[in-house]
Amino acid sequence: MSDIRTLAVAFVVTLAAITGGAAVTGFVTADGAAPAPEIQNEHYVDGDAVANDTPGRATVEMESTARSQTVLVDPGIDSSGGVAASPLALLGLGSPGVADRDIRPLANALIENGHEIGVYVPGATQPRRAAGPGSGGAETRLGERLADADAFVTFRTDYDEAELSAIEEFVDSGGRVIVATEPDAAFDQPGAVGLDSTLEVTTEPGYVYNMEENDLNYQRVYAEPTGGSGAALTEGVDRAVLPSATPVGTATGGGDVLRPIEGSELSTTRASTEAPLLVRSDGVVMVGDSDFLSPENAARADNDALIGNLADFLVAGGQATPTAGPTPTAPSGNQTAPSGNQTAPSGSQEPPENQTTG
Amino acid sequence: MSSKQPSTALTSRQRLAVVVVAAAVVGAVLAPSVYAATNDPDDTVAVVEIEGPVNTALAEDVESELADIRANDSVGAVVLKIDTPGGAPVASERMYKAVQRTSEQMTVIASVQSISASGGYYAMAPADEIYVLPTSTVGSIGLNAPAPRSTAPVYGPSGPDKAGSNEIQRWAEQQTLADTFVDAMMAEREEEFQMPREEVAKADVYLGTEAVENGFADEIGSLNEAIHAAATEENLGEYRVDTRETGPDGGLPFLLRTDTQVVAVHANDPGYADVKPMGLTYVHLPAVPHVDTVERFSESDLKVDGGEAATGATGNETAQSTGGVGA
Repeated sequence: MSDIRTLAVAFVVTLAAITGGAAVTGFVTADGAAPAPEIQNEHYVDGDAVANDTPGRATVEMESTARSQTVLVDPGIDSSGGVAASPLALLGLGSPGVADRDIRPLANALIENGHEIGVYVPGATQPRRAAGPGSGGAETRLGERLADADAFVTFRTDYDEAELSAIEEFVDSGGRVIVATEPDAAFDQPGAVGLDSTLEVTTEPGYVYNMEENDLNYQRVYAEPTGGSGAALTEGVDRAVLPSATPVGTATGGGDVLRPIEGSELSTTRASTEAPLLVRSDGVVMVGDSDFLSPENAARADNDALIGNLADFLVAGGQATPTAGPTPTAPSGNQTAPSGNQTAPSGSQEPPENQTTG
Repeated sequence: MSSKQPSTALTSRQRLAVVVVAAAVVGAVLAPSVYAATNDPDDTVAVVEIEGPVNTALAEDVESELADIRANDSVGAVVLKIDTPGGAPVASERMYKAVQRTSEQMTVIASVQSISASGGYYAMAPADEIYVLPTSTVGSIGLNAPAPRSTAPVYGPSGPDKAGSNEIQRWAEQQTLADTFVDAMMAEREEEFQMPREEVAKADVYLGTEAVENGFADEIGSLNEAIHAAATEENLGEYRVDTRETGPDGGLPFLLRTDTQVVAVHANDPGYADVKPMGLTYVHLPAVPHVDTVERFSESDLKVDGGEAATGATGNETAQSTGGVGA
């Protein structure tokens, strides 16, 4: 019996030693991952982590009570038989022009105040070259349209010589002009220097950006009034947002209306810049951005007030021509010469040949 | 009689010889194992490769390898061998978190090969040190994205943001995405950066020589020097190097850019299904070739002696791919 007991004890002890050893070895050499403490990344959850995405509201109002004026808009679309020059333009990409909606805040303000708006789009059926002999030969189609207009808003810079002459004549006769350009116009619209020379304004290559303070992107810069001669254009404007803006200037110097806020830099120099982004030279306003007019951007900062002021500026002029009778000077205008008005009765006004494309 | 017969018992010398031979045989069998056991150091420096465009597959592999390393007691330090221009934001964040967790547990040194930019820089930022070669490229801390534009309304979806978007809200989203990246980098390396946040957010890239001066990197050194530094930091003494490749078996997709966006191409001769647009990316754009610069070789374009099309690849006439890859 004692032999059996001895054998049983030996069996149990041996089994226990082996399984126990295996358990201890497994525990010691365990390869699993222990639960790790959570790592706190405060930078992901602090209060400034999420940008404010409230679109805002725009109220574009005009102060001017001027009689009905005609504003001609050149959206910068070179339409050939209704087909956009680039297929990308159909998608809204790569087109240098602006779509109808992009100028709606300005256009609606003018319409609501009884002004006429015409759209000039040179197309295949109405070539940009001179009209027939009956119209005087040298006159361009743009010239014809300008002759019937009091103000001209353009998003194009690549005009030919005849068109530039027409624009110069228009300005000399008291017509108001707003040129809205873009930093990339210098790349895809050769000939901008011709328009600049005609209007005695300048544009500087490059775009303005601000890394310190901006409207949701470094290129969407804030601009503030300079407090100079262009006070009427900045009434009610503390700050405007100009997405993708290029510096502009006047040939005579001065006339600065809006300049970028402190901390802004120019892309070509990577150095700080105070060069103006909106200037006025008598009846010409040059602004280094066209996007600020869009419905979304009109609701940013005080862009709506700026757009209203620009609408007032447009209708404060009017061409002085020998054949036209004098019209009352617009209340908000600061043009010294009495302004004429060549606008035909609206019933006989030539309708726009082409509407802007989307 | 028995005393006359030769004795079969072994003499003491013979017994000794048998024992020695037996011991020699057993020893010869055991020697390799004993040699390996004593020669193989317990400590390991794991080299984790992060190469090619940053995408989900790469991030998953890196996460998996680093989790395995953290659970492996024999690994004493990690070196990240990095060569990437960046890629998808979420994939970059996943690697960032994995490297951050590993770095809490052991020394992690990043060794930049030719480039670690944008999402690649994001991933390696929690490393204890960043090694660069003199002409490595690092930086590009920012978001690459096309400008949001208003689009014509889409009819059918259940809500305005299901298929469309508001331009300003998209701008805000992109700014949030960019700030998330920049804030994380400032949290990791604010003390090293020799420039304010605004300058970091310009997303410039720097060569290695400049990067060690402005704090985007810590040391000029090769991969081997990074491995040695990691081992030294952990007092490993004798160590071995365990290189862990990452990325999917089928090869990483390559990135191309069009005029408006970055696309990931998943095949050499891709169809539409192989090209995936990447709208928002943490990628250093100049490191991504433009689709127009990619030449496409196809059999029919290859000609011998200017004559008929041949199947051989000896021709040197190539067709410019204007609408092919990724267009």
